[in-house]
Amino acid sequence: MGSGFRTPLGLLLRPLTACARLAEDAPSPSAALFRYLVWLALLPPALAFVGAANFGWRLGAAEPLQLELGQLLLVSLAYFVALLTGFVGAAGAARWMAPTYAAASDFGTHLGMVAVVAAPLAAGSVAHLFPHVFVNLLVLIPALIWSMYLLYAGLPVALGIAPERGMLMASSLIGFLLVACVTLLGVTVALWAAGVGPLLGV
Amino acid sequence: MAVTDPRAGDVAPYADGTVRFLAACAVAWALGGMAAGVWVAAELVWPGLDFGQPWLSYGRLRNLHTNGVIFGFGVSALMGTAFYSVQRTCHITLFAPKTAWFCAIAWQLAVLAGGVSLLAGWNAGKEYAELEWPFDIAITVVWVCFGLVFFGTIARRRIRPIYVSNWFYGGLIIVIAMLHIVNSLAVPVTIGKSYSVFAGAQDAIVQWWYGHNAVGFLLTGGFLGMLYYFLPKHADRPIWSYRLSIVAFWAFTYSYIWAGPHHLHYNAIPAWVQSLGMVMSLVLLAPSWATMINGVMTVAGAWEKLKTDPALKFIVLALAFYGLATFEGPMMAIKSVNMVSHFTDWTVGHVHSGALGWNAMITFGTFYFLVPRLVGASLHSVRLANAHFWLALAGTMLYVLAMWGAGVSQGVLWLALDDIGELRFGFRDIMASMAPYYALRLLAGAVFLVGAGLMAWNLWRTVRGRPTVEARPP
Repeated sequence: MGSGFRTPLGLLLRPLTACARLAEDAPSPSAALFRYLVWLALLPPALAFVGAANFGWRLGAAEPLQLELGQLLLVSLAYFVALLTGFVGAAGAARWMAPTYAAASDFGTHLGMVAVVAAPLAAGSVAHLFPHVFVNLLVLIPALIWSMYLLYAGLPVALGIAPERGMLMASSLIGFLLVACVTLLGVTVALWAAGVGPLLGV
Repeated sequence: MAVTDPRAGDVAPYADGTVRFLAACAVAWALGGMAAGVWVAAELVWPGLDFGQPWLSYGRLRNLHTNGVIFGFGVSALMGTAFYSVQRTCHITLFAPKTAWFCAIAWQLAVLAGGVSLLAGWNAGKEYAELEWPFDIAITVVWVCFGLVFFGTIARRRIRPIYVSNWFYGGLIIVIAMLHIVNSLAVPVTIGKSYSVFAGAQDAIVQWWYGHNAVGFLLTGGFLGMLYYFLPKHADRPIWSYRLSIVAFWAFTYSYIWAGPHHLHYNAIPAWVQSLGMVMSLVLLAPSWATMINGVMTVAGAWEKLKTDPALKFIVLALAFYGLATFEGPMMAIKSVNMVSHFTDWTVGHVHSGALGWNAMITFGTFYFLVPRLVGASLHSVRLANAHFWLALAGTMLYVLAMWGAGVSQGVLWLALDDIGELRFGFRDIMASMAPYYALRLLAGAVFLVGAGLMAWNLWRTVRGRPTVEARPP
């Protein structure tokens, strides 16, 4: 594989080259997972851990929310597992859609594509070092816009389909990701209501 | 479809002047209604923007926004596309074309005067039914005329089957008439004030039977009519499964009408009514997603059309947001989720994922297709339409994310208890901490509005100086 798709940094700096490499030389699922996705999923929880341990989360309503170290470790671990599950789930959804859009159906390629799209968001998570909600939004929203651009621009290249078909598939994936996000919100909220997590007057 | 043609030789041209007028009004309402929305969003960040004027206050301007976009933009677009498509699916010109003109013009006057009355402080106190009784009567008259033109055209059709888009438009006309008349029953006391004939919990149930089904049969069903006619036209191929579309129509019509009580969870209405509302909301996911799959599969086989038709992108994305909104809605109707989400900005985000992502996008896509054809020209600028697409996508995504963040924060902070079981945070402090999310929402709305402005300019340049094409039934 060439320069664009060797390290997680390569994904970030030369994403479209990385997509072209993906199309030429599909990585095995385990290579895509352990060389890129695991590291990308590890970065935000690690940065969040350091930030929250030092400063505490500022939601705005009151003094910073300080968690005990053990609890913080548990939350960070859950964050890592959620991200990794999300990455693999998104790649799975993309592979499931692939025959409809006549796209490459190799699972490693789809995992690699998810890595390309996720890289800016993982890099943007450097904002977690200062755990203030608004600061994080300010950094992560441009990162999200860049990620979405990469999804639309990179997907047809990586999966070897016409840009028009790629546009349809990328939009379907956006639909899937939005539904996945809102499901996560719903499940979290239902767990809160059931008594798991913060102490709520319900 | 078999052409039976009982009136051979009856080939009066399609009455498309009304359609053009309604499309122009819809675009104007989109700009006005969305600008009002951006203004109220700004007031939530800088409350001084009402300049001490009652008519500029949030409480009045917010109603102008919702009425302007739903009844001005939404209904004008629905009426226009219904008139356009019913002629073409029935192979005959509109029944009573002068009545159609009356509908088109009287509707604009009713919404415009109604909007002014809202700014003056007239308000019936029912959400999405704020207009006072004189306007309710005017709306009823126009709506009955709308039904007369639409069903009159169908009755005189020259094609035996009634195409699925007409079922959805017909459902819109009948159900909205029923909801509007029942919910607006009131005793007038002055020209600008009336009191509902329903009281207490009964009033709340009737109101949300209206409110939820206005979302259902107008913002969902009506726009599905638009989708089922214009998507196959865009894609130049039939619907993926026509049978599925008919099954989805009846399942949708049957299940939607029961879902209203989910707006009243944990309120003073019977618990079984709440549970029924929740269960029927969950059932609703099936027909909603059947339609989404039908749309996605129709367009998946027509990807080559995207090269020549920039508007198809809007429809593709509209389907994605339709999928999100129709999943999120049933999920938020689950009582344990609603316990946290109710009264928060999550609801506002949900409404806008539907309103911006689904209703506005499908209408934009339809207008980019329809308006050039009405004047027999090509779109003034494909590049501007593409720019509009990215602005609309960015605006919608930012809006939804900002409101998810605000809503979930509100839900958890409002309910958070401290160690001795007291509420942990004050309401005022929580709302003061929402400013960043509200600023983000303002940005999102402004981005979306700029996109709509590009469309207005693009369509204006497309039609300027060109007469409406005189098309005839085949």
